[in-house]
Amino acid sequence: LLSWIPHSMCHSPPGRPRLTKCRSPEKETFTCWWEPGSTGGLPTSYHLYYRKESSVEVFECPDYHKAGNNSCYFDKRHTSIWIIYNITVVASNTLGKAYSESVEVDVMDIVQPHPPENVNVTLMQTKNSPYFLVQWRPPHDADTRSGWVTIKYEVRLKMENSGDEKDSSNWESYDAGKQLEFSIYSPQPGANYIVQVRCKLDQGLWSEWSPSAFIQLPDNMSDTQNAVMIL
Amino acid sequence: MCAFVSINGVGLNDLLERASQLSDKLHSLSTSLTNDLDSHFPPVGRVMMPRPSMCHTSSLQIPNDKDQALKVPEDELLSLARSLLLAWSDPLALLSSEASSLAHPERNTINSKTKELQDNINSLGAGLEHVVHKMGSSSDNLSSLPFYSNSLGQDKTSRLVNFHFLLSCFRRDSHKIDSFLKVLRCRAAKKRPEMC
Repeated sequence: LLSWIPHSMCHSPPGRPRLTKCRSPEKETFTCWWEPGSTGGLPTSYHLYYRKESSVEVFECPDYHKAGNNSCYFDKRHTSIWIIYNITVVASNTLGKAYSESVEVDVMDIVQPHPPENVNVTLMQTKNSPYFLVQWRPPHDADTRSGWVTIKYEVRLKMENSGDEKDSSNWESYDAGKQLEFSIYSPQPGANYIVQVRCKLDQGLWSEWSPSAFIQLPDNMSDTQNAVMIL
Repeated sequence: MCAFVSINGVGLNDLLERASQLSDKLHSLSTSLTNDLDSHFPPVGRVMMPRPSMCHTSSLQIPNDKDQALKVPEDELLSLARSLLLAWSDPLALLSSEASSLAHPERNTINSKTKELQDNINSLGAGLEHVVHKMGSSSDNLSSLPFYSNSLGQDKTSRLVNFHFLLSCFRRDSHKIDSFLKVLRCRAAKKRPEMC
């Protein structure tokens, strides 16, 4: 009995999980993630339950696996827009249960696409006025043809070694509209530029910035042979 | 008359392009207004806010996902957008008349943006009338979504809460209008997908 007491002292019901984020990358599906909280030293399982606006029926998460640990993926069949989802996560172990605070989500408010893809930069040579062309592709999962979402892009660039990487004040940003390319005129000869692109769907949230593309401009801008392009 | 003649010369693609620019603007304005209001909103207001299902337009049956929306015939999508716009004519007039006396430090900004909203729905409504003619669809199949209230409340807190509630309903509806019009625009531009 004595040896059982300290052992049991280490165990407790689980801590409260916390819903941290929900995101819909294309206005067709969405995912919510949670932080698990303490397990109380026991095997603990997590279940996500949701209820849709104007309905009393409670459903369990349709897919715990597709988006990784501590997440719930709502596929197309389970995703409606302009309807509030009331979402709660429940942690349970043998000693008890803990409920997260419930969160209300409308897919309209959590639309944030993945970043644009295949960003590359090419040096273009015209007589006396060299410039470079930034090109990219839409995120693979965004349907830009049906009109269900309309995508807009923003390009930013800065000269390498022009300060701290995280210092946003050195970036120059340009609105690229719906285009899949953007030209940068009058770049500085000999400079190295870092270029990134991000996108948003209608009035949704901006994506993260794409991975950087780099371009090194020749010192003598009339000599294209010196241009080095690295992706 | 001149304006009328010139707009008749505009193709359906261009009309829908203009309409979706306006609907985009409407949604962006209502989002920014909601943020302005949220910047100083009493915590008790959140508890008092009616549920979104209480919006006066929530009875309108609309497509709630992409697959449904893409299956809806063009004239029906247009009717849905027009029904929603029509349903907001009275409530936006009420918001517009109340904005200047709102108990909110940003009321001047809120007031001017509300007026801008009102101007925008009027322009968009007029623009969609031209789209109706251009598409040759019938113009009388609109759903009636009556708005019965003519006041936002007696005390300043309930006026603020009801203002916020109506605006959040409008924000959702402006997103629906914008989505439907952009689907229409893409269908009209079938041969030129770069228009989307």
